[in-house]
Amino acid sequence: MVPVDDIRARARDLLQSGKVRAVLGYRRGTAGLLAEPAFMTTAEETAALVLDPTCVENLALYLVNEKKRMKHARQSDRRPLGIVAKGCDSRAITVLLQENHIRRDEVVVLGVSCEAGGMVDTRKLNKALRGKVATQVRFDSEGDINVSHLGGSTTLPARDVLANRCLECARAYPLDADFLFGEKVEERPYGPRFTAVAAFAETSREERSAFWDAHFERCIRCYACRAVCPMCYCDECVVDSTSFIVGPTTTADEKADRVRWINRSATRSENAMYHMVRAMHLAGRCTDCGECERVCPVNIPLRLLNTMLEREALEMFQYTPGLDAEQPSLISSFRDGDPNDFVR
Amino acid sequence: MDAILQKESLGRWIAKLQERGEVYAPEFVEDAWEFTKVERGASVELDHTNTVLPAKGFVFPQREVLYRFRIENGKTPELTDTELSVKPMVVFGVRPCDGRATVRNDRVFTCGVSDPYYQARRDSVVFIGLACNAPPSPNCFCVAVGGSPCSEDGLDVLMTDLDGRYHVKALTDKGRDVVNAASDLFQAATAADRNEVSNAQVAALEYPQRSISAMDLVVAALKRNFESPLWDQLARTCIGCGACTYLCPTCHCFDINDEVTSKSPLTGARVRTWDNCQFPDFTMHSSGHNPREDTGARLRQRICHKLLYFVETHNMQQCTGCGRCITHCPVGIDIVRIANVMEEGVWQ
Repeated sequence: MVPVDDIRARARDLLQSGKVRAVLGYRRGTAGLLAEPAFMTTAEETAALVLDPTCVENLALYLVNEKKRMKHARQSDRRPLGIVAKGCDSRAITVLLQENHIRRDEVVVLGVSCEAGGMVDTRKLNKALRGKVATQVRFDSEGDINVSHLGGSTTLPARDVLANRCLECARAYPLDADFLFGEKVEERPYGPRFTAVAAFAETSREERSAFWDAHFERCIRCYACRAVCPMCYCDECVVDSTSFIVGPTTTADEKADRVRWINRSATRSENAMYHMVRAMHLAGRCTDCGECERVCPVNIPLRLLNTMLEREALEMFQYTPGLDAEQPSLISSFRDGDPNDFVR
Repeated sequence: MDAILQKESLGRWIAKLQERGEVYAPEFVEDAWEFTKVERGASVELDHTNTVLPAKGFVFPQREVLYRFRIENGKTPELTDTELSVKPMVVFGVRPCDGRATVRNDRVFTCGVSDPYYQARRDSVVFIGLACNAPPSPNCFCVAVGGSPCSEDGLDVLMTDLDGRYHVKALTDKGRDVVNAASDLFQAATAADRNEVSNAQVAALEYPQRSISAMDLVVAALKRNFESPLWDQLARTCIGCGACTYLCPTCHCFDINDEVTSKSPLTGARVRTWDNCQFPDFTMHSSGHNPREDTGARLRQRICHKLLYFVETHNMQQCTGCGRCITHCPVGIDIVRIANVMEEGVWQ
C-alpha cells in the first residue's frame, strides 16, 4: 500500500520550507467518483491530498500549462513545482525533459508506484454496476477492488475495472523521482503491453476502416483529447482557425488566402484528419497515460491509435519514450542501423 | 389531452410515426447513451440515463450548410441551397432539462429576429419528453435552477413511466398530432391514472439532487465577484477543452466559415458550425490581442452567461441543471460548486 500520509508529509515539508511554489496532487472532488487535480500552495492544504485508484489525471499536463501561463504572468514565482506522478505520468515528464520543454530543476517529482494496482476506468465501473453510481473505490487485501455505491458495496476483480492502459502497464512506478512512495513492483498480474492493439491489428483492413469511420463520424471536436495531453504543447495547432497564422502583421489577404488543412466542420473526413495529425505528432512520444481516451465524451478509443504507433517505434527502432531524459527523442535521432526500407 | 399507452404498444406507435418521418430515441452505444435514428422494427426501451449529447442538435446541428456558392470569372455568382428543407422528425426520450433548454434556445434564435435555419428545424421536430422518476445523472440539479423532473416546458408531449404503461400528455398542436396519428393505440386516462402520475411526480421531487444553497443570491454574488481571484483559483486546473459547452443543451455560439471545394471556378459552401467560448481562439482579435486570455476569464464567461447574463436579459437561468458539464469535465470543474463558492465568497 502506498503510504498517503508520507506523501502528505513530504508535500507539507516542501511547501513549508519554501522549496516549491505549489504541489500538484489529487484531492476529493465534488463532480463524481474521480479525484480532482489540486494546486496546493499552503502546507494546510496538503491535508486534503489523496492517492487511490481514482487519481487518474496525468498532472504532467500542468507543467506545460503553467509554463504557458508564466510566460504571460506579470509577476512570477520561479521556484519549482512539486508534482505527484505515477509511472506513466513520470514518463511523460521525462519526455518533456527529453524535448527540453522543461528543465529538471523546475520540478520536484513525488513519484508514486501503482504497485500491482492501477487506476479505475469509470466506464467499466458503470457497466459492471449496471447504472448504480459508485461513490468510493479501494483495493482490498486480495488485490480486488471494493466499490461502495448508493445502497451498498460490492467487490469486483481488478482486471474487470482497471483502465486498459493499467492492465498493459510494464512499469507501474516512476523511473525518475526525487521521492518515491510505494514499492517498485516489476511483476504485474495482468497482460503484456500492446495487448489491445495487437488484437485490433489482427482484424481485416476493411473492418478497421469501418471501425474508425464510425468513430470519427461521432467525434464532436471538443479537443478534450488534445487539451488533456501533456505532449500537445504547441502554441499553434493546425486545427485552430485563427491562432495559426494571424499576428499583428498579418494582412487581410493573407487571412483570406490562408491554407486551411482542416475545416471547422466536425465531419468524418475532417475529424479523421485531425486525429491522424495528432496521432502522428505523438509517435515516439506517447507514454500511454490514456488520458485522451478517458476524457473523450463520445468514447472514441483513441489509445489504439497511439499504442499502434508506439508498437511500431518499439519494433522498428527499439524505442520506448520516457525512459531516460538523456536519451535523444526518437524523431530527432538517426542511427546507421535504423530501418529505411520505407523511404522511397 | 392525456391518454394511456401500454409499454408493449410503444413499438407500434413508433412504427406509425415512421410512416411520416424519421424517429430518434436514446440508444446505448459504446457504453453511453446517444440519440440515434430508430430503424424500422427496432425495439426502443425508454430506460436511459442522460444522453451524452443533448437534444439541441436536432434544432441546432453542429454543422449547418447555409448555402452553396459557385463563382466563375466574369459571371454572376450563383447561390444554391439557400433554403433549408427539413424532414419531419420525432424525438423520443427527451428529458425535461433538455425540454427546458429548448425554451432558452427559442429565446436566442426566434425572439426578435428569427433564425430561419433554426426555425425550420424547430417547426419540423416533435420533442416527446420522458419525465424522470429517479435522477438520470448523479449530477442532476434541475430543481436548483427552477426546473423539475417532470417539467413540461419546451416539450410537445410528456410521457410518464407508470410501471407497465405510459401516461402520455400532449402539450402542443404538434404533440396532439403525433398522438392522434395512432389514436387506436391509446386508452383514455382515468382519474386513477392521473393520481398515479401525481404520485410519481411527488416521488421524483423527493429523490436527492445536487443543490445550490442560495440560488436567489447567486446573481448578485457573480456581479460582486467579477474581478475576484476566485476565478483563477477555480480555473487553475481547467485544461481549456470544449467538452462542457459542446455538451451543454443551451450553449448556442457558432462560427461561420466558407469551405472551399475548388479554386477555379470558386465553389464551396458557407457553413455554420458550433463554436466554443472555452477555446482560446473564440475571442482572439485579428490584432493578436485576446480579451479573455486565460482559463479564469473563460470559465467566468461560461458561468456568468448561464447564471447571470441570461437572467438579466431573459429572467431565467440559461442552465437547466442537466449536469453534463460536470459529469464530462476531464478535471471535475463543477458549476454547482462554483455557484455555491461564489455566493459564499470562499473556496475550499
